[in-house]
Amino acid sequence: MRLAAAVGAGVVALWAVDVVRQNELGVGDAGLAFYAVAGVVSVGVALAIARHPGRERLALVILGWLFVSALDDLAVDWPTSRSATTVWMLAHGLQPAVYGLMVLSYPSGRLRDRGDRALVGAATALGLVWMGVPLLFFRPNGCAVCAPRVSSFLYTGTTFDYGFLGKVFAACFIVIGAAFVWLLVRRLAAAPAGARVTLLPLGFAVLFATAEFVAQRIVTLGGWQAPFGVLDWLDRGNALVLPLAILVGLAEIRRRRGPLGDLVVELRTAQPGEVRLALARTLGDPTLELALWLPDRNSFVREDGTPIDPQASGERRTVTTIGPAAEPLAAIVHDERLLGQRTLLEAAGSAAHLALENARLQAELRAQLVELNASRSRILAAADAERRRLERDLHDGAQQRLLALGLALQLLRERADDPALLEQAHAELQQALRELRDLARGIHPTILTEQGLGAAVRSLADRAPIAVSVHADEDRYASSIEAAVYFLVAEALANVVKHAQTGAAIVSLERRDGRLVVDVSDDGRGGATAAADGGLQGLVDRIAAVGGTLTITSGHGAGTTLHAEIPCGS
Amino acid sequence: MTRILIVDDHPSFRRLASQLVVAAGYAVVGEAADAASALDEAARLRPDVVLLDVVLPDRSGLAVAGELVSSPDPPQVVLISSRSRSDFGESYEWPEGCSFLPKHELTVTRLKELVRQP
Repeated sequence: MRLAAAVGAGVVALWAVDVVRQNELGVGDAGLAFYAVAGVVSVGVALAIARHPGRERLALVILGWLFVSALDDLAVDWPTSRSATTVWMLAHGLQPAVYGLMVLSYPSGRLRDRGDRALVGAATALGLVWMGVPLLFFRPNGCAVCAPRVSSFLYTGTTFDYGFLGKVFAACFIVIGAAFVWLLVRRLAAAPAGARVTLLPLGFAVLFATAEFVAQRIVTLGGWQAPFGVLDWLDRGNALVLPLAILVGLAEIRRRRGPLGDLVVELRTAQPGEVRLALARTLGDPTLELALWLPDRNSFVREDGTPIDPQASGERRTVTTIGPAAEPLAAIVHDERLLGQRTLLEAAGSAAHLALENARLQAELRAQLVELNASRSRILAAADAERRRLERDLHDGAQQRLLALGLALQLLRERADDPALLEQAHAELQQALRELRDLARGIHPTILTEQGLGAAVRSLADRAPIAVSVHADEDRYASSIEAAVYFLVAEALANVVKHAQTGAAIVSLERRDGRLVVDVSDDGRGGATAAADGGLQGLVDRIAAVGGTLTITSGHGAGTTLHAEIPCGS
Repeated sequence: MTRILIVDDHPSFRRLASQLVVAAGYAVVGEAADAASALDEAARLRPDVVLLDVVLPDRSGLAVAGELVSSPDPPQVVLISSRSRSDFGESYEWPEGCSFLPKHELTVTRLKELVRQP
């Protein structure tokens, strides 16, 4: 679009130059004014075409033709400038080929087959040879009102009378023009009725231009003069007729295929993350939200992977599900007034199916990334909180005991025979040792390193104030997995004691299909959730950090089960 | 005789500290375990010296110290802590009129140096 706008600005500027220069020279006339206005309108039309998705290429071809046409007045603007003369000759020679390119590449902006390419190639070659002759041999003949009145930069210094060559070229162009018309007629005839209607405006414009072009050559061949400059007017009219015809044709294509067709075209080139935009545009609801269903996570996310709840969508919003209700592909959250167009909504959903599948895969990756970042910062925060807790425990526990012991020892220095004081000193020391032991076990229990997970979990169960039955063998696992599971069980049992209001829990550890499967369950009051700030979220993160998953089942009054599965090799 | 109030939330520390105060030749007039009772006891008993823990369960010992030194006829306040001076930083500003004594330096000798004779 930016390139099209730049070329369009260039064309308008060239036309402005034409008008200003020719008025200066006193050669401007009504035809010139018409030509300039037509040019500006055509640029506008081309830019309007460029705004449609997938049409920019065609618009650029049209603008290219307008640009070459605008260059075609340079010799009149500066009849005594050798550079203007050189550029004009080249542009003039290329004009028929560019015109052919524009018509034959409609509506995609690309030439379709070998016939098209051969014709445009032939027109280019013929045009260059045709204007190559004056480029190399034109010498001004002293005519004071002709344009140009100088030779080109490529002038060889010699000349000859090449009037007869003009007739040869004219004949060649008539042949090419006929081939061109034949190609178009063939295309029209081969097109299905629906497509033919979209080609007709262009056909009319081309008929107009070709008739004009062939008439010019016939006049050249016969050496006649057309009355009233009629052919010049027709030539200038071309600048307006053709872009307008293309616009009408495109409008017809658009009308016939409707918004859904646009959607399909747009989705073909949509970048990841743009599916929502394409749907919003097609359905005419800029506030539309796209929620992609991730079956693995059992939740909806946006294209960027952030979570979204389609049901919590606000007033006058409603949700249309795409795909089977049991296993939806996505949900569109949209203005409820769109419900009047249910067919369009559903058709848009079907049209977007493949793009949505892709978007879902992308979103899944993004969601994993979002989740990874979140859990990483949660793990950091948890480690931080853990260090603070250790500091506090040391400070409030063992350190206080040792300070008291120090005081007692001081007093004993004076009263060495005081048995009560001695007894207190001993008690403080014992208490300090016990607290240090507990703390060390909380950091990393020795039994875990020495005897493995089963034994460590059994010792946890023995120390718990409730009855815990443990089903575990003596298998050893990677130390990171053993630690993660040990703390999972420790925290889970602590939660049972604190919240579950029950006297019993069951822990089972089992190696199954290359995974360590852990279950901690109680028959208490349930209702536990992994809220982001809760201790359970910390457990989820800890298990995720060793590549595992943790699910929590906890209905009200139905007990709580923590179920973890961690890949552990064979 | 100089009368001392001991404020600390660890009972075993209070018990041993009062024995040490007595050994240093002072009288223990009372003990408190938190900021609120510390202020009540200070107002009721009007001690000459308050041994005051910096960290108390309900409020900061520093705030209690500030209130004590600004009361009419204020007691001498000795802030005590299980942390050492360097934990608070060299430039730490203790409330005006208060001295600081890490708990591990609490000896009969140090106590006698710190307590001003009335």
